Amino acid sequence: MKKEMDVDDHQLSVEDLELKYQTNVNKGMNSTVAGEILLRDGPNELKPPKGTPEYVKFARQLAGGLQCLMWVAAAICLIAFGIQCGQGDLTSADNLYLAIALIAVVVVTGCFGYYQEFKSTNIIASFKNLVPQQATVIRDGDKFQINANQLVVGDLVEIKGGDRVPADVRIISAQGCKVDNSSLTGESEPQTRAPECTHESPLETRNIAFFSTMCLEGTATGIIVNTGDRTIIGRIASLASGVENEKTPIAIEIEHFVDIIAGLAIFFGGTFFVVAMVIGYPFLKAMVFFMAIVVAYVPEGLLATVTVCLSLTAKRLARKNCVVKNLEAVETLGSTSVICSDKTGTLTQNRMTVSHLWFDNQIHTADTTEDQSGQSFDQSSETWRALCKIVSLCNRAFFKSGQDNMPVPKRIVIGDASETALLKFSEITLGNVMEYRERYKKACEIPFNSTNKFQLSIHELEDPRDPRYLLVMKGAPERILERCATIMIKGQELPLDEQWKEAFQTAYMDLGGLGERVLGFCHLYLDPGQFPRGFSFDTEEMNFPTSGLCFAGLISMIDPPRATVPDAVMKCRTAGIRVIMVTGDHPITAKAIAASVGIISEGSETVEDIAARMRIPVEQVNKWEARACVVNGGQLKDMETEELVEILKMHPEMVFARTSPQQKLIIVESCQKLGAIVAVTGDGVNDSPALKKADIGVAMGIAGSDAAKNAADMILLDDNFASIVTGVEQGRLIFDNLKKSIAYTLTKNIPELTPYLIYITVSVPLPLGCITILFIELCTDIFPSVSLAYEKAESDIMHLKPRNPRRDRLVNEALAVYSYFQIGAIQSFAGFTDYFTAMAQEGWFPLLCVGLRAQWENDHLQDLQDSYGQEWTFGQRLYQEYTCYTVFFISIEMCQISDVLIRKTRRLSVFQQGFFRNKILVIAIVFQLCLGCFLCYCPGMPNIFNFMPIRFQWWLVPLPYGILIFVYDEIRKLGVRRHPGSWWDKELYY
Amino acid sequence: MAALNEKKTCSQRMENFNRFVWNPDTGQLMGRTLINWVWISLYYVAFYIVMTGLFSLAIYSLMRTINPYTPDYQDRLKSPGVTLRPDVYGEGGLEIYYNISDKNSWEKYVTTLHKFLSAYNTTAQHANINCTSEKYFFQKSFLGPNKTKYSCKFTSDMLENCSGLENSTFGFPEGKPCLIIKMNRIINFLPGNGTAPRVSCTAQHDDFSPLELQYYPVNGTFNLHYFPYYGKKAQPTYSNPLVAVKFLNVTRNAEVTVVCRVIGTGITSDNPHDPYEGKVEFKMRIQD
Repeated sequence: MKKEMDVDDHQLSVEDLELKYQTNVNKGMNSTVAGEILLRDGPNELKPPKGTPEYVKFARQLAGGLQCLMWVAAAICLIAFGIQCGQGDLTSADNLYLAIALIAVVVVTGCFGYYQEFKSTNIIASFKNLVPQQATVIRDGDKFQINANQLVVGDLVEIKGGDRVPADVRIISAQGCKVDNSSLTGESEPQTRAPECTHESPLETRNIAFFSTMCLEGTATGIIVNTGDRTIIGRIASLASGVENEKTPIAIEIEHFVDIIAGLAIFFGGTFFVVAMVIGYPFLKAMVFFMAIVVAYVPEGLLATVTVCLSLTAKRLARKNCVVKNLEAVETLGSTSVICSDKTGTLTQNRMTVSHLWFDNQIHTADTTEDQSGQSFDQSSETWRALCKIVSLCNRAFFKSGQDNMPVPKRIVIGDASETALLKFSEITLGNVMEYRERYKKACEIPFNSTNKFQLSIHELEDPRDPRYLLVMKGAPERILERCATIMIKGQELPLDEQWKEAFQTAYMDLGGLGERVLGFCHLYLDPGQFPRGFSFDTEEMNFPTSGLCFAGLISMIDPPRATVPDAVMKCRTAGIRVIMVTGDHPITAKAIAASVGIISEGSETVEDIAARMRIPVEQVNKWEARACVVNGGQLKDMETEELVEILKMHPEMVFARTSPQQKLIIVESCQKLGAIVAVTGDGVNDSPALKKADIGVAMGIAGSDAAKNAADMILLDDNFASIVTGVEQGRLIFDNLKKSIAYTLTKNIPELTPYLIYITVSVPLPLGCITILFIELCTDIFPSVSLAYEKAESDIMHLKPRNPRRDRLVNEALAVYSYFQIGAIQSFAGFTDYFTAMAQEGWFPLLCVGLRAQWENDHLQDLQDSYGQEWTFGQRLYQEYTCYTVFFISIEMCQISDVLIRKTRRLSVFQQGFFRNKILVIAIVFQLCLGCFLCYCPGMPNIFNFMPIRFQWWLVPLPYGILIFVYDEIRKLGVRRHPGSWWDKELYY
Repeated sequence: MAALNEKKTCSQRMENFNRFVWNPDTGQLMGRTLINWVWISLYYVAFYIVMTGLFSLAIYSLMRTINPYTPDYQDRLKSPGVTLRPDVYGEGGLEIYYNISDKNSWEKYVTTLHKFLSAYNTTAQHANINCTSEKYFFQKSFLGPNKTKYSCKFTSDMLENCSGLENSTFGFPEGKPCLIIKMNRIINFLPGNGTAPRVSCTAQHDDFSPLELQYYPVNGTFNLHYFPYYGKKAQPTYSNPLVAVKFLNVTRNAEVTVVCRVIGTGITSDNPHDPYEGKVEFKMRIQD
């Protein structure tokens, strides 16, 4: 990795740089040259990791387990068709149709899946373009604001506090510039950037600022030396993308299930192939039987159903600002048992906000809610007025123009985080700060710097008759206090004695203990004799007093938790999900936020807390008593993996502070070792390995870096943690509903299969044809099975524990056995009853049907006698057979209507769930009936799809069986509800 | 999912499988204890007994509602099928291919015809009555023996030259073969609406000379007194009336496609999906 960093730009002199990049350090590049370079190098952005080629993606959709089975079936059909054609058989076209239908099914399902994938990729892509990053660039001597992706090597750019560095930049000049390199190196201390080369390694030297790092304060100008994927971070990101994606739990479930289905299909097919051979069917016929059984047994529509169900949920989530990149990830959140959440931006609002004030020897609490709905404090004190004046005036931040109609918290501010917080605070409490500042003309100012640790400005007073100047100052509290001689209490200036100093210390400690950033404020009215109007203040020499000031108060700021977070964390807890905070921030802040959002619940203590309470050394505390634990990066570094796992087991409430990207990865792995399904939320490049390693990575849409978004499976467009809870709920719901859908879909495989089994063994005329089966699978039953995805949850799913991925399978034994051998069996009986009815009423009594197959299918026999002695041609018999197909089809449909009703619930009675609450399901049933009618009665159907117009009463024959299914399942559910844990429950609850 | 995806070795899999088949710790056989197996089996036995019972009940009550004399519906039997004897199928359907000089080539046709007509000899038909009326033979009540209805006699001698009585080779060796056309029987079907339906054979491509044919009985009609058919139970001895066609001038050494239609109201022969409805098509090739 280090070897690749063959950058030497930091060692070049400015002149050499100008030469190398055809640029000018004052005027910047020529814009035409820049255009040419842009064409040569491409836009300045991280290319998304090279995905699999589209055709491979498509091919993958065509080569799943079930698809392969269907390919085999289609191939057998084609072979059979070929052989029959060779023998001059007239009826062989059926096999050709079937082969075409099968191939069409695979291809169409494949296209659908591919389209879904394509669409979700598109959502991400379109989202990316929504918030283009801006950069200030100097070209041809003029300043422009352009999209950062238009920058090229050699461009002269300006960076100021709050900007994201738009590319790898060699610094030419800088004023107090500090950058946050945490996403690159893991160190969260701000790093100074200056024009001098301090180290031969480009990573260590001070004169290069890296792409996508944050400029925290100060300003700098520099020349771009690398853009896009050639930047340092680009190289890391592309290296990280080599990490294999983990399989999602639902993918594992579906694979598990497909394996079983494919295995059973081949087993059934093989068994009956052998049986047919033993009975004495010719080889070809036996092969066709094999194929037919595979077609009957494989749930062709299932994959489409699953895809549609998942994408419905994905759509629902997208409405709630969660964009899902990988459809299967929809369910993963539902099985999540641990959430490793980043703090900043996810749990918190990611904006500093004034939270507490200390004046008049009292701590006041400010309103930190996002929409200013909270309580305000008493603002009547004189001291408050003075403090407010300082806060408004001693502030360099300003609102971007043209936002007057926006609510204050939403307005864009130019300035650093704490100044922004103070500006917004005074704007809200005071109103129109910009105008206020106009009234107090600024005479001079000293911006904040790290040596002084204060910021100062001097203003004229509003009243023109008052010739005094007002000096206002803010800064680190202890430094401010040093410079003060008096303190303002209730508008009175009192001498700052020891007592007040102690009061100050207590307040400062209290606020600091809350993990808040504290600033001190003081002011001084300058003596008008010494400093008359027009006095020239010199900031270099400081020809004005900077001590003996009057202390006004303390203001503390914090990045407050989002209003919805505590509730969401609570919900996660009740849902049995552990929320672990993993942050790069200080342990104290992290712990304070964790406590305020409920990650560390009320009354939970860390080992240190217990030690402090019981006044015993930390070592003597029984570690198992401590529910909470705060681990920082330093401790984590010295830990063995087993030790970490041990700690994770020991303390249910964990906060990891000061963690590096590698450590985040280790934490995720340790959780997975415990058997948990881990969701990770994060936004930085440093989070991307953990996001990828996680079972589901959730990236922030607003604050998130592209690398994080690329590594993630899901993106929260509003950066809101509460959306994750919605995701969990939807994920659990879809798991339950998929179970229902699959149970519904599997059931009809038995009534599709039994006709063949009876046909082969008892030699009745074929009751149900392959084409008809495909119609059931792919036409009439798709909509009802999808409609189950709209079913409401039966119980409060958010009060259950997450499912155990080893035990709670999507398709378990009980589900398959109940669907196949009970409901499926009843449906088969219904089908055969209707079949024998239709046969008997047309003249073929059940006993005659047995063993009739050979004669029935003999197309040389034109006068086969029925039970009444009537003689039938082959054609007439064929249409009778189609009538049977249709009758059997209708029987399955009628039973499936009953089936979809019973599948609405697994435990509750359908009456409790409500018949009509799922409107989509009602529509689906109506649709299914209409489709059934259409297939039966549309003219031309008999010769195209082998559907015959059947008599009305044959629709009614399966009805009693449908009612039986419904009643039987209600009894089952009643038993399951009444006797939980009983034999009945174990065997019949799926 | 690291924990879930650990690759298992083959021996581990085998061990797991063995454990599944017989778990000595819990006494489970294939995932269930023995007593559990008994319970679940009993449950399923009971379930299937009940289901089979319900099914049998359904079929029983179905058969109770079925009329033993006439079917409830004849949706597929709108028009009768027509068959040819001898019915020997080749690659392209019904084929009468033979060589006059080669006895073996036509003997099978003769045998088939003799066999077919054996049901029409006097002994076989003795239970049937002689009918002379030229009208439909309606029977409201069961006047026949054992609560049956009478059937009209059709004996092979009504086919005269094609009866196989005088010419036991049905004219095959002479190159003037007799073929027999039979119409399928359908209960209560009244063909012809009062006029007797008749058979008419034509060559499909009249490239050669028009076919010269002789029909037996005269005009190739099915006498109306054979209709309607009352079903197997009412008319156990019923036999279909026949029409024999003698081909007098078949072009030798050429394939002739012949279509024999039964002409009469109520008999359609233009169903594209059923080539044997109301007509029968066959190929003939007589070689010297």
